[in-house]
Amino acid sequence: MRVTFPYFGYDTFALKGFLEDLGAEVVLPPPTSRRTVELGVKFSPELICMPFKITLGNFIEAIEYGADTILMAAGARKCRFGYYHYLQEIALKGTGKKFKLVPVTQYSASDFIFRLMPSLFDVSPLRVSRAVYLLLAKSALTRDFRRLLNRKRALNFASAERLIKPALNVITAARSLSEIKRAHQTLKLMFNLNGGKPPLRVGLVGEIFFTIDQFANQEIEKKLGQLGVEVIFERCLYHHLRHLLRVDFGYLRSRRLAYYYLQECPGGEAIRTVGEAAWFIRQGVDGIVHVFPFTCMPENIAFEALQRLCEQSGVPLLSLSFDEHTSPTGLVTRLEAFVELLRRRKRGRRFFGN
Amino acid sequence: MVEGFLGIDVGSISTKGVVIDRDYRVRSSRYLRTRGNPINSIRQLLRELGQDVNSGVRILGVGTTGSARRLAGVMVQADVVKNEIIAHAVAAIHFYPDVQTVLEIGGQDSKIIIIRDGIPVDFAMNTVCAAGTGSFLDHQATRLHIPIEEFGTRALRARNRVSIAGRCTVFAESDMIHKAQLGVPTDDILAGLCDAIVRNYLNTVAKGKEIRPRVLFQGGVAANVGVKAAFERALQLEITVPEHFLVMGAIGAAILASEETENKNSKFAGFEIADIAFETRVFECDGCPNRCEVVETLREGEVIDRYGDRCGKWSG
Repeated sequence: MRVTFPYFGYDTFALKGFLEDLGAEVVLPPPTSRRTVELGVKFSPELICMPFKITLGNFIEAIEYGADTILMAAGARKCRFGYYHYLQEIALKGTGKKFKLVPVTQYSASDFIFRLMPSLFDVSPLRVSRAVYLLLAKSALTRDFRRLLNRKRALNFASAERLIKPALNVITAARSLSEIKRAHQTLKLMFNLNGGKPPLRVGLVGEIFFTIDQFANQEIEKKLGQLGVEVIFERCLYHHLRHLLRVDFGYLRSRRLAYYYLQECPGGEAIRTVGEAAWFIRQGVDGIVHVFPFTCMPENIAFEALQRLCEQSGVPLLSLSFDEHTSPTGLVTRLEAFVELLRRRKRGRRFFGN
Repeated sequence: MVEGFLGIDVGSISTKGVVIDRDYRVRSSRYLRTRGNPINSIRQLLRELGQDVNSGVRILGVGTTGSARRLAGVMVQADVVKNEIIAHAVAAIHFYPDVQTVLEIGGQDSKIIIIRDGIPVDFAMNTVCAAGTGSFLDHQATRLHIPIEEFGTRALRARNRVSIAGRCTVFAESDMIHKAQLGVPTDDILAGLCDAIVRNYLNTVAKGKEIRPRVLFQGGVAANVGVKAAFERALQLEITVPEHFLVMGAIGAAILASEETENKNSKFAGFEIADIAFETRVFECDGCPNRCEVVETLREGEVIDRYGDRCGKWSG
């Protein structure tokens, strides 16, 4: 059995390690590229959102690379995502390829640990629990790496870019709890910051795939870093896992902070989007960047709430929706203008006279 | 000899250039059609501006803006390359310090800039289509055989404004033809089109933004008095069209150049580059499946700039 799963930003390596801990042979699809998107778009319904198209493209390429079992997250969370795996299975069959698609439901952690993973990989629940524990530790490591990287980029872009590859090697190599601990130390030394403070900070919120996967969001963190902005974020695999394990206190905070603007969850990550934005504003960020796939219903609702939140707190909001037609040039123009606006606001001076 | 600054704004439809003096007064300005060839239009612009001011002005700084700002910046060795949103805001605040809202409609894109206390605080740009932009009017004017210059004045003569579905250029066109077939006078249709573009702009670009006076209307479409009147009807506010509404972006770029070069010498390559051959080549890099399009700018056959790749192999 050769298992594959879609790319998920830097957390891809943590997920790969998790499956290998269960004794699976993992076939990673080639990194998401323009070809991946083209393939995905070709076999997708036109108005479905980008995560569907990109992950479908990943699957097609992974099968070309010899994968025969596909793991796809599933489970209704009040948005279309819940039935993606059905549609993707149909679309993939249309390509005439041989494969098995296993939906990894997100309803309960116990089902995952005691039934799904043991039956799929023929391992004991105990082994799955241990692997989940390591996955948690590793996704926390990845999150911290992303945070350090974003800060370093804002302060010294070129040197931060040079560190990415070696840092990823450190993360990939760590396979036990003690190694992960050591990797934490190594990363902190690599991204030695000496208390430097970036001139501007923005909070990144939005749909989970677009806040995590650098290909999907057109490397927004890198582009903002290049403009001298530190990107802070909450959304990552680590938080997502904790949410599934029912130990996610960040979500409770989000729900409390978002309540004034959004009482009911319209689905997806809308409550988190609003709650995290409110949290970032409390922490004194200079702006909020909201990313989501075009046609995403929950995030469009969150956008309306975000607009009110940002207006009341006087923090600028840049909302960006993405699909396969999103032009990189247009994105850069908007980011540049947004950052310039933040900078001038912060300086607080009028351009001329008076 | 006067000292001054040069600003260049290269858009998809038009290429604008100004020379301002140290007091930011416009010494010379030009508005040319880009005609899909920004290299030629930039050279033409420099030639004309150069003839205007050559004897009288020493250029202390140069700034570029607009969608071809990078190309223009590479060609003239600009001191500052800024996006059009900031350039428009800067120029608007210079001429009208009390401005709170800037409506800017150009050929291919439209934007709204919200300014409070002389600082731009928010902006929005049209995203997916050009239904709320100048090319929409241009297209319909061609269809009705009305010169675009007469569009506005004829729209003002309308006695009954007809409503035209303006969500999408294609729908608007079929609706417009339908109204014309019913025998509706052309002036009324033109007024309907002005309403349609304003409705489109307010519902898509300016959606959710608080429009407070003073409101400035800039960009090529501001020449259309029909659209200005339609804005005033829709917003119930007085709209100001600044004197240099066509070249506000260029003026903003020039002002930004003056800020940038306060204690520095300009890198400006001189008006002479109007006679130098520039060329742009695009090739697809086959280093990885991303197949990035790499754009090269050449000056007399020599590569002076490369960009467009994700990994930095060419541009790095």
